[in-house]
Amino acid sequence: MSEASPVAPFEPKIVGFLCNWCSYAGADKAGAAQSAYPPNVNVVRVMCTGRIEPQWIFRAFEVGADGVLILGCHAGDCHYKEGNYRCTQRHRLLLRLLRQFGIEEERCRLDYVSAGEGERFVQVVGEMTETVRALGPLAWNGGGGPGPSAGPQI
Amino acid sequence: MKVAVFLCTCGGSLAERIDPRQVGSRVGALPQVAAWKTCDFLCSEDGKSFLRAEVAAGKPDRVVIGACSPREYEAAFRQVMGAAGLNPYLMQMVNLREQVAWVTPDPTQATCKAVALLRGAVARVLRHEPLEKKGIEACPDALVIGAGPAGLKAALTLAEAGRKVTLVEKSAVLGGRPVHCEEVFPAMECGSCMLEPVLGEVLHGAHADNIEVLTLAEVAEVAGYFGNFTAKIRQHPRYVNPELCIGCNECIPPCPVSRPNPYDLGLGTAKAISFPFAGALPNEPYLDDGSCLRFQGEDCRLCQQACPVEGAVDFEDRERVLERAAGAIVVAVGAALYDCKNLPALGYGTLAGVYTSAEFERLLASNGPTGGEILTPEGTPPQAVAIIHCVGSLDAKHMPYCSGVCCQYAFKYNHLIRKKLPGTAVHHLYKELVAPGKEDFALYEQLRQETGASLIRYRELAEVSVERANGNRLVRYHDSSGAEGALRAGLVVLCPAMTPSEEARRLAAILDVPLDRFGFFEELHGRLDAAQSKLRGVYLAGACQAPMNIQESVSRAMAAAGYILAGLAPGKQLEIEPVVAAVNAERCSGCRTCGAVCPFKAISFTADEGRAEVNALLCRGCGTCGAACPAGAIRCHHFTSEQVLAEMEGVLV
Repeated sequence: MSEASPVAPFEPKIVGFLCNWCSYAGADKAGAAQSAYPPNVNVVRVMCTGRIEPQWIFRAFEVGADGVLILGCHAGDCHYKEGNYRCTQRHRLLLRLLRQFGIEEERCRLDYVSAGEGERFVQVVGEMTETVRALGPLAWNGGGGPGPSAGPQI
Repeated sequence: MKVAVFLCTCGGSLAERIDPRQVGSRVGALPQVAAWKTCDFLCSEDGKSFLRAEVAAGKPDRVVIGACSPREYEAAFRQVMGAAGLNPYLMQMVNLREQVAWVTPDPTQATCKAVALLRGAVARVLRHEPLEKKGIEACPDALVIGAGPAGLKAALTLAEAGRKVTLVEKSAVLGGRPVHCEEVFPAMECGSCMLEPVLGEVLHGAHADNIEVLTLAEVAEVAGYFGNFTAKIRQHPRYVNPELCIGCNECIPPCPVSRPNPYDLGLGTAKAISFPFAGALPNEPYLDDGSCLRFQGEDCRLCQQACPVEGAVDFEDRERVLERAAGAIVVAVGAALYDCKNLPALGYGTLAGVYTSAEFERLLASNGPTGGEILTPEGTPPQAVAIIHCVGSLDAKHMPYCSGVCCQYAFKYNHLIRKKLPGTAVHHLYKELVAPGKEDFALYEQLRQETGASLIRYRELAEVSVERANGNRLVRYHDSSGAEGALRAGLVVLCPAMTPSEEARRLAAILDVPLDRFGFFEELHGRLDAAQSKLRGVYLAGACQAPMNIQESVSRAMAAAGYILAGLAPGKQLEIEPVVAAVNAERCSGCRTCGAVCPFKAISFTADEGRAEVNALLCRGCGTCGAACPAGAIRCHHFTSEQVLAEMEGVLV
């Protein structure tokens, strides 16, 4: 967490882009079941994973994320018919780019969680947190840029 | 800019894990946060009154609400914002209950996470724009394409509700497939009699004035979108004036022409001026200009001279192109049958006495080419009839699906053959038998109890062949145990898979509506929205979307009518949701990437420069075009990059 002291164990910061109709509802389902999971994934809701711009993921890494988790509807379940397929295509290309920037593919995971799969959401968040924890903090300077930004300009 | 932040403690359920005082001190310290309030149950009537009063009095520029899932209460709180005088889209909800308090046992971690999410929401909401729902005028009327049971019922339902309906039918007769059948399963009603009341209502009933029936017509062009379609309809001349014709039949006997009757699938003949078959509605003949002597250059007027009503036979009738407005379109063009010539071993098209089920229906019909007598090509009643099921069905090389209706009509044939020719044996050769439903098993039960009927399960259809043998047909097969067998039959009836029609493909291109992998119209959702196409305003009914029986077809038609009655009301504007995409024409290069990824056909391109335009009525706000645009020319309202990134950066601090 942001208040972590230097001696505290590494707590990864992960952004979770969740589609409104399946995965966000799946996260709500985990909540309704009061299933505990690590607090490291901070969720940003989008209507569809098809909305997610690959640049957003670079920006996340640039401003201090150690991982990005994208969760959408299962194949064939997209509320907008095919946004999850678009996201899958873009994610594949994105992973190739990330490699070129020296960012481990595991830091940007795309998975599928339906509105009923609260337990699966908990499982994926747990796995992602442990994966990124094992990878350690991402020390990335934004691909040669000025380094992590000073934070949000609000 | 002033932001007011409200925290709902959910009666303590949230405050158990998230410390409101700590959150308040840290979020309240953000420079733009002007007000910080907590409430016990913001969703209660008291809570909403409190929220409304606070927003109305404090006049914040933006509001953030930390509470439960926005999936639950966002719409309700937006209404409160509207009532308090704030644009509803200037509010952002944070899910502190389902996604923080209930899943984070450690209160310190939960409080930290709540602060991060609220900070993201404050950063996001500062970049929100006021958005307005817009309304556009819409035409409440409908275009129904296809006048089978589905199209007729949809048209009639809409007309009964006072809507104007244009009913377009390609053939000269109304009623679709059932009126070609002597009897229909499962209740063995006469097909025409079953539809007679519906046809009577459509043509002459209390609401007939609301239905414009166009036979021999097809939709040639469609422009526009939900609420505002314009269709061009091409109508072939009938050469008989429906206003004058009294349906007396006098014109038909004098006609010297004899041609294969298309309505008997070429099995019988018809005059150039004729009814499709006896009892066909509308009750006026049509003239086939492809065979009429007058249109081949001869001065024949025999039909006109025999007609007792002057002007009823009208050789001057010409093709017309009509333009009709409609808010919605129902596609009910039915299906075709699999081409049995793709299975040459079955002898269809090469051996006399091998018929498709559609042809056999006409042979059974009292208004058909044999007057309903079941005869072999040799002119005698058959000693045995072989009915081959699953022709082209359940087979990856042909059609992989089961059509579901063929067994039913095959059992019906069994009943009809045995009734007409009690001494005739009926052999069913099948791959699978299906008889689901509360009525449909009855014909199967009857068949099983008959001594003259046999059921033979073949191993593979590819091993079934039909050949000629002494004025008979010999059917060879391997049964399911692999044993070879053969049987003689005077007639062989093939039950082909129901397949998409050519008309479906033509219409799909005109309407720009997608077809599925088989070529049937694709539903918006196979279970929940099975009567909607993927294009808003175009509804589906009947076998054009999947193999289907009459009951299912009519149910879909009623569903389609329901969508139209609910979605388009006279005098009511169509609401356009504001969370949609918009194109900045100055940045658009016209590359058309967005149009290719839009799942709702909501993006078109200007005629002059090819710039993209989003039809806000068709756009559903998924935002995939915004992610695809290489020029950053598409703004996805309420989910702009700036808004999402501000939130993301806020939650990461």
